[in-house]
Amino acid sequence: MSSPGPGRSAAAFVRARRTAWERLGALVARAGGSRLPLEEVEELDRLYRRAAADLAHARRRFAGSDAEGYLAELVAAAYRALYRPRPRRAALADLLRATIPATCRRHLGALGLALALLATGAAGGALAVALDPGAAELLVPQSVREAVAAHRMWTGHLLSASPGVSGAALLHNNVTVATLSFGLGLTAGLGTALLLVLNGALLGAVLAHAAAHGMGGQVLAFLAGHGPLELSALLLAAQAGFVLATALVDPGEWPRRAALQLAGREAAVLLLVVVPALVLAALLEAGVSPTGAFSGLERGALGLGLATALWAWLLLPRGYRR
Amino acid sequence: MSDAPLLEFETPERVTVTLELAGVGARAYAWLLDAFCIFLAWVTALLLYSISGDLVHEVQALSVAGQILAALSVLMAGWGWDVAWEALGGGRTPGKRLAGIRVVRADGGPVGLTEALVRNALRAVELPLAYAPAILAVALSARRQRLGDVVAGTLVVRQARFDLSRYELPATSAARFPHLRGGGAAALSAEGFERLTDFLRRRPALEPAARARVAARLAAVLAARAQVALPSAAEAEEFLEALVAAHAEGR
Repeated sequence: MSSPGPGRSAAAFVRARRTAWERLGALVARAGGSRLPLEEVEELDRLYRRAAADLAHARRRFAGSDAEGYLAELVAAAYRALYRPRPRRAALADLLRATIPATCRRHLGALGLALALLATGAAGGALAVALDPGAAELLVPQSVREAVAAHRMWTGHLLSASPGVSGAALLHNNVTVATLSFGLGLTAGLGTALLLVLNGALLGAVLAHAAAHGMGGQVLAFLAGHGPLELSALLLAAQAGFVLATALVDPGEWPRRAALQLAGREAAVLLLVVVPALVLAALLEAGVSPTGAFSGLERGALGLGLATALWAWLLLPRGYRR
Repeated sequence: MSDAPLLEFETPERVTVTLELAGVGARAYAWLLDAFCIFLAWVTALLLYSISGDLVHEVQALSVAGQILAALSVLMAGWGWDVAWEALGGGRTPGKRLAGIRVVRADGGPVGLTEALVRNALRAVELPLAYAPAILAVALSARRQRLGDVVAGTLVVRQARFDLSRYELPATSAARFPHLRGGGAAALSAEGFERLTDFLRRRPALEPAARARVAARLAAVLAARAQVALPSAAEAEEFLEALVAAHAEGR
């Protein structure tokens, strides 16, 4: 390799080398789009090494100049062209087939905890209302109580049991609850746990209250379409929250910061499922549940079917072919 | 070079590749510009549409599911904008282009469709919280990454512009100041050459009085260093051009 030009000035150096740099730039640009013939790859390699030497020279002699900046960018681009990994065509397929289910199954403990808390809340809420109907005053929103007393159905929804106004509001509400139960993982999981128990209690209380007034079947039929998916999304969001909490409380052999970053990546993968599931649930809730076009049985089959498919995809073991 | 945070890694040839990371300011600016572009696009579409139809009543006439789908498609247009520009435009939306930043992979390479999809899909998590998690994450993390950046393995870097034309031989030669030929060129350091060509290129945009003042001061300093007679104020810029030419002509 010849030594980089000993030129006194950056201008002389650039003039002596510029043709070669521009040739390298052109090769790099073409390497991005198509396969280069062998002789051009060899030329790319040769020009790259020479440009790297030029960059070292520019760094020493003309630090901070445009010549150095240009060379640094050129060398970096050539480096990527030469050393780039084989393109991963199936990144999205990989995510769906392996990464997401594996992530969910890696944190079964967190998922189990979320499920247990939600179920405990629901059982508690239902039990409280069953034992003392006065508890409904505390746990069941007034609008729902009025509706139940008048024996008419309200088009409220599951997680907050507020009267539904528009589909966008439902979606926003669900996303907020899910995001909160994820984000509150940063309170060492306490916030997430509280949110799960509260939402469970609300659900249990509403169901028990409605059942006590002979409307249990009606409410169940209303919830059947979107409820399973909505609860699934809430569980996954809470699982993601607990994954964060675990990293915070028990980072293991990692520094807390690194553990939290790793956990954030895992949790984000779970959120990739939560958001579409909530969108789908909101569509069902607004489009299927309130209309009389479907019987309760059909809605139940649809809602349970979707939720079952979701959990089968996430949890059932299957062979993984590369 | 600014004092922006840098990300450096070394190639097998022991060449250091440096990426200059973009901060909250530039990214928020780019976001605002993009939001404005999307807003303008919707306003234009609305105006065009309102010539023939009554949108408000038509949306109200939609079923709830239809309204959800409409709201979603409005949201998706915003995401689609980001995804499409980042995947096809070398990591730059129009807003990012104006803000001088771009999205790259962790090795500095251009982002593909998957990366753009993932990093923008995670906006759904940050948007309901008014982007607070994203702003905190960009401000506090060493690699200036949002949640979406961490998951997609992307970085947002500043895009520097380098101009090799300053090293070309200028049209005006050093002939008018023959005494600059010899030691005169040595008066200019490598960094001085960059700054002087910066000035010569930017001078048309300068206020005339300021331009003359800067030229005179530069000429005074450089003439003293080159040990030549101080040119008159009227000749100052010609002297500077000649100095650049002499320096550039040097081997």
